[in-house]
Parts: sequence; structure tokens; C-alpha cells
Amino acid sequence: MPSWVGKSLRRREDPELLTGQARFIADIARPGMLHAVFVRSPRPHARIASIDVSAALAMPGVHAVLTGDDLPEATAPQPCTHLYAGQRETPYHCLAKDRVRYAGEPVAIVVAENGYLAEDAADEVDLELEPLPSVGSAEAALADDAPRIYDDCGWPDNVVGEFRSEMGDVDRAFDEADAVVHERIDIQRLFACPLETRGVVAEWDPYGDELTLWTSSQILHIARDLLAAVMGIAEHRIRVIVPRLGGGFGCKFHFYPEEPATALAARVTGRPVRWVEDRLESFLATVHAREQIVEASMALRADGTITGVKAEILGDMGAALHTVGYGPVWLTSVMMTNAYAIPNARVHARAVITNKTPLGSYRGWGQPQANFVVERLVERAAQQLGIDSVDVRRRSLIPPDRFPYKGLHHVFDSGRYENCLDLALETLDYDGWRARQRELRAAGRHVGIGLSFYVENTALGPSKLLNAGGVQQGGYDISRVRIEPSGDVTVYTGLCDMGQGITNPLAQICADHLGVHPDSVTVVTGDTASCPYTGYGTGASRGATVGGASLMKAAGALRERVAKIAAHMLEASPDDLVIEDGRAWVKGSSSSVVTFADIGRAAYIRPIELPEDVEPGLETTAAFDPPQMAWPYGVNAVVVEVDVDTGLVSFLDYAYAHDCGTVLNPLIVDGQIHGGIAQGIGQALFEQLPYDEAGNPLFGTFMDYSLPTTMEVPRPRLAHQETLSPNIPGGAKGVGEAGAIGSPAAVTAAVEDALSPLGVRISRTPLTPSEIVRLVEEAAARAPERVPA
Amino acid sequence: MRIALTVNGRAVQADVEARRHLADVLREDLGLRGTHLGCEHGVCGACTVLVDGEPARSCLLLAVQADGCAITTVEGLAADGRLHPLQEAFREHHALQCGFCTPGFLLTADHLLRERPDLDDEAEIREALAGNLCRCTGYHNIVDAVRDAAARMREEAVGG
Amino acid sequence: MRPAPFDYRAPDTLDEALAVLGDAADDVSVLAGGQSLVPMLNMRIARPDLVLDLGRIAELTGVERRNGVLRIGAMTRQRAVETDPTVRAQLPLLPAALRHVAHLAIRTRGTIGGSLVHADPSAELPAAVAALEGRVELRAAAGARVLALEDFLLGPLMTARAPGELLAAVEIPVPAPGTGWGFAEVASTHGAFALAGAAAVLRLDRPGGVVEHVRLTLLGVAGTPVTPDWVAPALAGRPPAEEALAEVGARLRDTLEPRDDAQVSAAYRRRAAVELAVRVLRDAARRAEGQAP
Repeated sequence: MPSWVGKSLRRREDPELLTGQARFIADIARPGMLHAVFVRSPRPHARIASIDVSAALAMPGVHAVLTGDDLPEATAPQPCTHLYAGQRETPYHCLAKDRVRYAGEPVAIVVAENGYLAEDAADEVDLELEPLPSVGSAEAALADDAPRIYDDCGWPDNVVGEFRSEMGDVDRAFDEADAVVHERIDIQRLFACPLETRGVVAEWDPYGDELTLWTSSQILHIARDLLAAVMGIAEHRIRVIVPRLGGGFGCKFHFYPEEPATALAARVTGRPVRWVEDRLESFLATVHAREQIVEASMALRADGTITGVKAEILGDMGAALHTVGYGPVWLTSVMMTNAYAIPNARVHARAVITNKTPLGSYRGWGQPQANFVVERLVERAAQQLGIDSVDVRRRSLIPPDRFPYKGLHHVFDSGRYENCLDLALETLDYDGWRARQRELRAAGRHVGIGLSFYVENTALGPSKLLNAGGVQQGGYDISRVRIEPSGDVTVYTGLCDMGQGITNPLAQICADHLGVHPDSVTVVTGDTASCPYTGYGTGASRGATVGGASLMKAAGALRERVAKIAAHMLEASPDDLVIEDGRAWVKGSSSSVVTFADIGRAAYIRPIELPEDVEPGLETTAAFDPPQMAWPYGVNAVVVEVDVDTGLVSFLDYAYAHDCGTVLNPLIVDGQIHGGIAQGIGQALFEQLPYDEAGNPLFGTFMDYSLPTTMEVPRPRLAHQETLSPNIPGGAKGVGEAGAIGSPAAVTAAVEDALSPLGVRISRTPLTPSEIVRLVEEAAARAPERVPA
Repeated sequence: MRIALTVNGRAVQADVEARRHLADVLREDLGLRGTHLGCEHGVCGACTVLVDGEPARSCLLLAVQADGCAITTVEGLAADGRLHPLQEAFREHHALQCGFCTPGFLLTADHLLRERPDLDDEAEIREALAGNLCRCTGYHNIVDAVRDAAARMREEAVGG
Repeated sequence: MRPAPFDYRAPDTLDEALAVLGDAADDVSVLAGGQSLVPMLNMRIARPDLVLDLGRIAELTGVERRNGVLRIGAMTRQRAVETDPTVRAQLPLLPAALRHVAHLAIRTRGTIGGSLVHADPSAELPAAVAALEGRVELRAAAGARVLALEDFLLGPLMTARAPGELLAAVEIPVPAPGTGWGFAEVASTHGAFALAGAAAVLRLDRPGGVVEHVRLTLLGVAGTPVTPDWVAPALAGRPPAEEALAEVGARLRDTLEPRDDAQVSAAYRRRAAVELAVRVLRDAARRAEGQAP
């Protein structure tokens, strides 16, 4: 059987995107459609004294202005799907009632004939707020005298969730250690920032019974179910459609207040309503990510073997838990042993509420933070022990013969970690660069080399594990495959295409498992009316693995029916057939061929041609629930040069070696890694969302929030190895988040290495020009003799 | 106010408020939705169109300012049902993922290659594309696609 | 992010524009290239009653040389100046600075006059024009006046332009042959606002000789471009050697007083500006020696 899997097929959606014909959320237009804008709180924390909408309502072209007071009695607060044990509830409605808890919280929706008029009217909404004491940082939230942000819910403090995990004898490991290193790491707040902002279009049928909601979401069915729960209507009365998405990266893996609010506006006005987030709103209204403070220690033997790790994690969740609970903080805590066989570990995570935009998902979830912390500690330990950090890693990487390896929380499936480390060193020419570094340093240049090793949980995940952990979602996926009467194939999946190109590997998998050409396969996504339920939505690097595996099952079962019908037509045994490229024939006798069109006609139009035990129709549905997750891994190896006067970092080289099991489409896999690395570089060097002490955002445009351009992102040289996952049929591991996880740590290590002759030690990001100069000057003040005048 | 534009070679007229920016006229009034709005303050480049042959941000241009101008949008690149060499190269090199920023890149690159048909230097291509943000690709495949398209267009010019 | 309503006028002549401006009782925003104004309109930071668009006034565009002075019409697009053969040959500092102004698609619309009137302290063009000792011509219904750029720029986003006046042109004396130049800036990412920058011109009395003329202007370190008047006396009569440049750097370090903001510390701006100042002086000296293009 020819394998389409593994081929760099060009993407099916490209012509539509390249010619401007694709339809994104802002391109959805319905007859009679109105336009919505939101009025948002300008303050981080306040009591709503009054909202006077009369002037706005009186303006020409304005159809409705709704506030929290206009929500139907039955409207439920915005729900979470991730309910970790002991996690408190942070009830808030899609339009604020009584109180606002972050700058940007929606307080009113204004609906008018067009967007210009809606903005004009929004300006006229008179919002009177009584400021309340507010909290701008996680540490301030923990203070004894901190304002209680949910005092109305009876909270005694601002801690929304807490999690502990431990294995081995940690105290003994630290007591007996030859070396102990400790770091406090500050990881900044930033956000996924897809180029396309979010948006919603809501339309009710004329009787107000059924709602169609177009939404820029990665969680098709979950969005529908949560909307049904919030609005108090049955799921089957809601059809959710996800149009083309202009990137997601996790921030569209959330159920947002604008979804029910826009649906409500459409119901009240009796007209379709479209809301498209503007860029300024996006900085306040789309979930933020990453922000944590981690105090961590590592215990080692003199030879560099890591014997223990401890971490105290403080996550700043912003003003409310948003869909996924405090999930990212939880994940950071259980990933605190990274890829290492560290027998003793103790983690304690606390998630706190502050008066900032809610924090949620972004490529990697909690993993880039854990990776950053552990890899910082590895560097610190190597410095203290006087050995190369490569050797510290090598000594403790989980060896191939210990898989499946039970770590702090997860079971790691398979891997050749050390091999991958060597592949990276070879790809970079590590020894060569170390030699060049010596020469360049001698010439006065600040050149540094940095590595990180990451491991990533993908193929989320076993439903039992998720449910037992408090997640109110499954981890399975379902695929439906249909051979049409024409013989063409349609695949239906609940996964969403955010631009990652999921339909392409799915078509390749289907082609292989059904015996057709991928061009004859259409993959339908993004419509609850036709697509099967997805357990978890499109995130956690699970689409091609879990969705792909369910498709293999469905296509395989359908192939059996095809074989039965073809065998009947060819008067042969199904076992003797070859099925390829949409045709079937008896092995060794290709003169007599049955096509899928023949089979389709029989199945739908001329059942008289079917064998006795085969029912009409050609469609199968199958679910796959992974027994365990799949764990890709890899190494970022980076060479940078730092200009200590301008603070600019430039890349001299970038190598990336990784293993994501079976590579389904190399073109797409490389693209995912390129994009992830660019985002990791953004995190390491550029992106941040600072707030003042009161919780007022200080950044909020692309003039201050710097996304990397063509000029800042180096071209990574990629190297692949393939170690199959035993947990996923076909052996693929996820790759969507891979590039983003280890890159911040590696870039940071390289910058620190470049500046290490000056005595610079780095424990926070981003390494902006200003921050680099601060580090250099601080080191100079500490040890003036190190810095040449 | 009544304005007249030539959009992708066709003369069109529109009645617009003075405050309406060109991107909204193209998208909402003329139905050319390939021009995307990513920031509306001129940084991201997704809304880049050609105005009298030169790239400009359609979010920073009032439609009334463009009265009398010739506009090229992404819909104007492919001709006779054939993709433009840049579009071909973008597909070949996987230079797009979500495709939201792609129209802006294509028009920026189209102008670049008409001004500099000889272009083959990666650093120069990178600098020329630096005003367009992409969040998916890390840019390398876009740079490769533009470079390859330049070569293809040179070949076609010689061949034709 | 859509502008609030406004009235709009786009006259064909400068006189007409001045008349509109003179008659207007309301808050008027003058629209040149719009690359700074339209974002502010979109964000509703600017809410003028009237937008006066100068885009149709042909007499405000173009570059001409007269009596050793290059006169650039206020509405000349930055991209047009950047590619103008006369400018490239006689004021190469200007295109070098303009290349740092955002990106091409901004410079095709952005104008020379618009940038000067906007008076952003981190902008490249005011610093380059200041280094070149440029002057601006302001026109009102009653007449014209010419101001040195330093006298025109009063502070961040503040100029000496009176309500009834429009900037008509910038005039820049063409430097003597053999004048070297340098321009450098640092921005967090390519095309972003400069965090700090420097422009310099420098001429020697003869090849291999001593400094005869030098002018250094810094951007991003104060509310307007900073052109320290002590640089010329400090370097005049001396070869532009590293030691001399380092002295300038040291004195800048002691005298510059930038401010902190959310993105950048004052200490950073000082250090970067000092470094860039030395670099542009070095570049200017090398060009004056004919050692660099």
C-alpha cells in the first residue's frame, strides 16, 4: 500500500487563502446584520454605580444597548471546563453585574446599523464606577492586607487554587546533595496574539428557537455546550460554525463572554449581529498567558547527576478563571522534572486572583514555564559545578530502557533523548562553536551558546485521567468517514483548523487507511451540525494524533466494507483484494477492477449489487481515546551575540533537533516548529504585558507590544529523528506546541552565556534592550573589576 | 461623499463618509474581503494594498484620500484563473499557515519584485518584508517563497 | 477602532487651505500623510471637528535645489525623498534616516512635513534635519516665516506652528563637499519606534586632517532632538580619533537626562545614545575620509 503519510503534500486550503477567497469571522455577513461593540471597564476594580444607556439608545441607527441588568434571569456565569480539586469558583457574567474586576471587562454591548455608529453610541454610554482597592501582581495578592477580590463570595484570601505533588525523599536528596542551586524566576505576562482577532456572529431563526453562532473558536462542541449551559437552552438548538481562523495558539481555546453576549443581542434585536474584536480590545479581552513567579531548587551530585527538585509556583490568573481553570499553573507544577529521571521532587503551586485580564491558554500551556525553570537550574548547577551544562543534561535524561517512565505525574511513553541531544550538538556544530566563541571573545565580542532540552505532553489525552483530574471534558476524538455515491470521500471531524493545516494530515491518513488518493478526500471541520463531537477541542497538540487515530479506525472499518462489496462484485475473497487509489482488484489480476464509484453506486443507488450481509450506505464513525499521552521531545541549540551598549541580541546560529514520532507531513511539521520557535523568541526577547501596581495595563498596542519581524527571527536548522509512540496507532506524537516550549530557555541560556564573562545572571524575561543593559550595569556594580572600562 | 476608484483594473464608485477608511470600503462596500484588518493602527501590514502601484496600509488611508487612485488588492493578483507566481511559490514553500497575513505579504512582495526583479538576496528580502507581521510561520518560508518567485518571474520574462 | 465623525476638506491650493484654516472656528486636524493622525483617529484619541487634507495641493510636493539649499515641499512623501536622486547625492543622511522610519508601506504615504509637525521625540526625521541645520517654512494667510528646526520643535508632539499656519517646506543647506555623515538607532524590533538614536555630520579640513565642522543630534533622549552645542568646539581642530570620540561619549554620559517610561529605563536610553553617538561620529569621520560610501 502506498504511504501518503510522510509526504510533503501541498496544502489543500492554500489557493483559497492566497486569492483572498477564504472567509474569516469578520467576513461573515448575513442579511440584515447589525454590528456590535462592547463598552468595557476602564478600571481594574470598581463597583458599578450606574450605567446610563439612554443617550446611546437615542442615537440614530442604534438598535440595542444591553448591560448586566438586561441578562435574562436564567443566564449562568461563564463556566470552566477544568475543575481541579479545591479550585474556587470566580463567578462573573458575560456582561458585568454590580462589579468589575479588570480593565477591559465587558459591561455593555451596543448594537447598531454599522460598526461606526456602534462605536459612536458606545462613546455615549455613561458608565459610573466607584473604584475599589485593586491588586496588580500575584505577590501583592498574597499580602495579608491585600484587597479581597472575591470578598462577595466569601473568600478569605485571593488564592483560587492550590496543588501539591511529591515523589521520593526530597529532603534526603537535598541533605545529601553535593550541590544545591536555587533560583527565583519571573516569567512575564504576554499573550498568544494571533494576527486575526476574535469575533462572533449570532443569528436566530425567525421564531427565536434556534441559534446559529459563528465563532472564532478552537473548541467547536465545547463552545456550543457551554453556550447552551450559560443561556439555559438545549445544545441541539444551537449550531456552532467555526469559519477560517487566522491563528489560535490556544487563546481561542476559550469560551468568552462575547459569545453569549452577542447571541443575546441577536435575540433581543431579532437581527443577526456581528462583533469583531478590535486590536486594542484584544490586549484586554483575549486571555493572557504564562505569568508566573517560581522559586525552585535543584540538588545534584558532584558529577552533575540531578537528584532532586523543589518548586514553589505562583501563578497570576488575573481577575477570574477562564474556561480552563488554573490549568496552566497545574501543568507547570507537574512538569517540573522536565525530561530528567529525577527521583525526588516536590512541587507546590498556588494560583491567585489579581485585577488583570484573565489568564489562560497559549501554545505550551504551563510547559514553557516549567522548562524555563528547570533548564535555568541546570545552567546554574553547571556553573556551580564547573561542568558543561550539556553533560548535566546527558547524565540525567531518561534513558531509552526505562520507558514507559513514571514521573512526577505522567507516564512518559518512549524516546531516545540522549540521541536527540547528540543530534542537536552535531547539527549546531557545538564544539566548533565553542572554539569560535573563544576566538570571538578574545576579540571582545559577547557571543554565547545556549541549549535547552524539552519534553512535551501531547495527544491529550486519556479521558479517565482527565476526568479524574477534574476536567469536565473527554480526551477522545471521533471521526466519521463517508464514501459518497460518486466514490469521493468525506471526512468529518470535530477538530478545528486554526491555520495549522489539520485537514491535510487527516486526508493523508484517510487515503492510506481507506485506499484512495488524498485528492479525493474532503475534510469537513467546524460545524456542529455535521461534525462529530470532539472530546477536548483543538489544542494540546492532539489533533493529528488523537483525531488521526480515530480516523484510522473509522477508515479501516469502512475499508472492510468496501472490501466486502468489491469482493462480492469481483467474486473473490476480501482477503485477496488490493485496494489502492480508489480502486479494488484481485491480487495479481488487475485486468478486472472495481472503482469506488462502482461501490458508491451499489451502496446508495443499486443496493441490488450489495452482498446479503452488507447494509446500504457507506459511512463509519469511530472514536479513539488514548491509553496514555504521547511525549515528543527536542533540543534548541542557539548561538547569539549581544551588544552590551544597545542591548540588542542577534542570532548567529539556531539548531533544533526533535522527535515527534511518525512525521505525517514534513512540510507542515517544519512549519509548526518554525512558528513555535518564533513565538518562543518573542517570549525570550520582546513580548510582555506589564501592569502597574493597581492593575492598570501599561501596554496595549502594537507600538509597545513588539511581535518579532522577519529581521528578528533566525532561520532554524532542523534535524528530525522518529521514535514512535506506543500509545498512538501509527506512532505519531503531537508537534503543534513543540517549538514554543524550549526556545525561551535556550535563547536565555545563550544570552547569559554571552554575558557570563561580565558576571550576568538571568532569571527573568523578556530580555529587551533595556533589560540587557540593566543586567550588564547591575553586574558591573556588583563586580566592577570584571567589566573593562 | 462620492469617490471613484479603479480597483483591480475596474472602475468603481462608492458613497462614503469622510471617516471611512479604505479597508472598510474594499471589504464591506466592494465585497473584496481578502484585505484583512489585523490592527487598524498601521503596524501589522495585513491590510496592505497597492495604491497607484505602491504599498500602503488601507487602515490608515481614508477612502476619500484615495479618490481617483488605482487600487490593487489580493483579489487582483491571480489572472485568467492562474495563480500569480508569488501565490504559486507561497503554496510550494508552505509560506502560509492561517493565511490571515498572507494578502499583505503578497502585495508587499509584488511591489518589491516589480521594483527589484533582480532581487536574490535573503537579507534584502527580509528587510523589505519586515513591515508585515506573521504569527504562524516564523517567516523563513515566506522569504524563500519570495526569492523563488523572483527567480520564476525572471525565467518567465526571459522565456516570454 | 473607527474614527468619530468629522468634516473633511481637501483643497487644491495652499491659499485655499490657509483660508479654510483661518475660517475654521473648530478643532482642526491637518492631514498630511496620515500615518500618525489616522491611527489616532481610529483609536479616537484625536476627535477633530474638521480634517483638512493637504493631499491634493501639488505646490506642496517636490524637491528643488536653489542657492545651495534643498527645499523639500512639506507634502513630499518620505519614500519620494528617500529615492530622490538629488537628495541621495547631496543629503545622503536623509535617506539613511528615512530608511528607519517604520516600513516602506508607511513611507509611501507619510510625508516630510507630517513627520516634522508631529514632533515625536523618537522620530528619525526631526533628528536628521536638526543635524543638517534645516529650517522650516511656515505659511499663514498673512505671510510666511522661517524657523530653525530647533525653534520649531518645542516638546513632545508640540511645535511653534500657530493655529492659522501650515508647514510649507523644509529647507536644508547642502553640506560642503566631503562632509561625512552617520545615522544609527536602536529599536526593539525592526521598524518600531526608536528607543534611542543619533545623527551626525562631520567635515575635515583636509584628508587625514582635523575636524572643521561637526554636528551631532540625538533622538529619544528628551522631548525634542538634542544637539549639544559643545560637540563642535570639543572636536574642532582635532583628528576624529577614538580618544576624541570617547571624550564626547563620556561628556554625553554625564549630561544627558533621559526619562524612564514603561518600556525603557533612562539608564538604557543614556547608555544606548552615548554608544550610538560615538558610532555615528565614527561613521561620519570615515565617510569624511572617503573610507566608506
